[in-house]
Amino acid sequence: MIEIKNLKKVYNSTIVVNIPHIEIKKGESVGLVGNNGAGKTTLFRMILDLIRPEAGEVLSDGEVVAGHENWKNYTASYLDEGFLIDYLTPEEYFYFIGGLHQQSRAHVDDFLSGLTDFFNGEILKKGKYIRDLSKGNQCKVGVASCLLQNPQLLMLDEPFANIDPSTQFRLKSILMDLNKNKGVTTLISSHDLNHITDVCDRILLMEKGVIIKDIATSSSTLNELEEYFGVGQTIPVSTKIDEEENH
Amino acid sequence: MTSTFFQHELKAFWRSKNTGKSIVIRVVMGLMVLYLLGIVCVIGFNLGKLLEGFKGDVVVSFSGIILLYYLFDLFMRLQLQELPTLRVQPYLQLPVKRNSLVRYLAFTALLSIFNLWPFILFVPFVVKTIATDSGSTVAFAFIVSIAGLTVFNNYLALYIKRKSNLNGWVFLIAAAAIILTGLSDFLWHLFSIRQISYLFFGSLITHPAFALLPVLLGAIMYYLNFSYLKQNLYLEELGARKAAKYKSSTEYPLLSRFGSIGDLTANELKLVFRNKRSRSAFIMGLFIMFYGLIFYTNPKMNTEGYKVFVSMFMTGIFIINYGQFMFSWQASHFDGLLVNKINFADFLKAKYLLFTVISTFFLLLTTPYAYFGWKTLLIEVIMYLWNIGVNTTLVLFFANRNYKRIDLSRGAAFNWEGLGGNQWILSLPLMITPFIIYGPFAAFHHGDIGLALLAIIGLIFIFTRNYWIKQLEADFHTKRYTIAEGFRNK
Repeated sequence: MIEIKNLKKVYNSTIVVNIPHIEIKKGESVGLVGNNGAGKTTLFRMILDLIRPEAGEVLSDGEVVAGHENWKNYTASYLDEGFLIDYLTPEEYFYFIGGLHQQSRAHVDDFLSGLTDFFNGEILKKGKYIRDLSKGNQCKVGVASCLLQNPQLLMLDEPFANIDPSTQFRLKSILMDLNKNKGVTTLISSHDLNHITDVCDRILLMEKGVIIKDIATSSSTLNELEEYFGVGQTIPVSTKIDEEENH
Repeated sequence: MTSTFFQHELKAFWRSKNTGKSIVIRVVMGLMVLYLLGIVCVIGFNLGKLLEGFKGDVVVSFSGIILLYYLFDLFMRLQLQELPTLRVQPYLQLPVKRNSLVRYLAFTALLSIFNLWPFILFVPFVVKTIATDSGSTVAFAFIVSIAGLTVFNNYLALYIKRKSNLNGWVFLIAAAAIILTGLSDFLWHLFSIRQISYLFFGSLITHPAFALLPVLLGAIMYYLNFSYLKQNLYLEELGARKAAKYKSSTEYPLLSRFGSIGDLTANELKLVFRNKRSRSAFIMGLFIMFYGLIFYTNPKMNTEGYKVFVSMFMTGIFIINYGQFMFSWQASHFDGLLVNKINFADFLKAKYLLFTVISTFFLLLTTPYAYFGWKTLLIEVIMYLWNIGVNTTLVLFFANRNYKRIDLSRGAAFNWEGLGGNQWILSLPLMITPFIIYGPFAAFHHGDIGLALLAIIGLIFIFTRNYWIKQLEADFHTKRYTIAEGFRNK
């Protein structure tokens, strides 16, 4: 589905992304983890042809992303609020996105009614523009607009960051359903190691622009990641024995 | 503490995006402020001479206009003065005394340019005429009263604005009260503000101690503000955001005929009407409609050359005003537009459609000017064709070179965001080209040929739109990364 070749991005003479080669196959669910500044969002933006790499290229379905637009037909993505048209009501936005994919309003309405649980009554018919919604609810709008597009490739940047726990679990089951039952390739970044190891079959670990680990998720993956991110931290064990009690 | 606040305030000013990073903008801004100050200075120093034009004593007329000025001042303040509000947000949860916060808020409110005008305007006259006529004590009393009234007006305006944040009616009532006061003097002659003003300032000459009255008023108003702020130091009440109404979805059935291009245009129409700054670009266009009344009724200016000028503005003001910041309006969601299934050619066609729709609307509004002769209407139509043909293309060409973000949530008054060299360069060809074509013919009394040429060029551009769209699209693809990156820069 996606192939990255010699991709390099430099900002102010520091290399922020440097990936010699990586391939994501159709139907894979890939999680991208890494600390702030590891280059996750930059990588996403290059895959979406939003920034120009210094070297290398991204291929989507065998076609170079830059300068082509075919990938837009099957790719849905939500990186940040900058993807939303914030002076529209959520309904208007969904109709607009649906319209881009030749979906009728009835179809959009029908689709949205399937997301009632996910929206939890906070999105539709609330009489608010998207800009007046909270960050978490904006995220819901963004994710829903991605789902609406019926994508073959879904890219989400930290979708779990701002949403409430119930929505996090609903989103997880939606993502797993898309990947397992509908064969959608998913590429998700997150700081929540639990969620990402639950949802994804393959984890890419980024550090300073380089993918340093590429692991197929197994029962030990979570521990492995926690070990990496907990570098040099020993958790103070607070099992202080009350001496009075233990005489 | 106050000095720390003050330092932060200075930093906020110099580091704000609005101040503009480029030196050119700062210079131009500085020049414009100096120019304005200069004009007011000149008026201030020549106030005596200007007032001699009226009947009666100069001092009497001077005393008469002061209150009148303050009425006008209040009206302007209500519209333009900004509330120094949300800037305290980062301090609210810190261990800072409420009193010092409120004092700081109330104090910074005085740092408005509005508080400078009355002094520049009135003090020269007070020093020159009143000091020599009635002695320095009286002159001092005048200056003190002017200061008192300025402070009073300053805090009254802010008080009304704060109240109207909670309830929109307050603003309307206040504005209506000011307008009615003005009308009842000048239209209905119920009372004379000038006489009231003279009643007070005239008696200052005999009893300088009366100067304490405005000071007292100012102090009361300050105290009112202070206590109101102290009681309402909550984000919701401080904020410039008004109580939210239910926002319903809108549709433009006419546009849905154009498919996805129509959808894009509908979105942009919503952008225009749902955001302050873009909305004022449109409303400005409505005011420009009166250009015709000003120019056509004046026999000296009722010539064809002026008509070309006026018609270009009346039918094309939106293209100039809104178009000069093109794509910046969509800066906040430009990434979204790029990754979605939107063909850039469609995106451009939607822009053309938007300009055509709005210019047509303005053209329809100007049709009554046919009263000044059918040829007036003909010229308007010609300039309309020119605008939707040539000027739209020109504006879009420059839009590809505009990398500055605009934050839609901010108002238009004194907002320099998104302004760059681009806009200065753009305005030249936009306004001059039609005269380069029309001028030479008009000079040799063949104005009609010039007009015909304008119409033909406009039509050629309209019929070759697809060619221009292709050119613009190719041009865009070489610049899209720079544009998107510029827009991401907050």
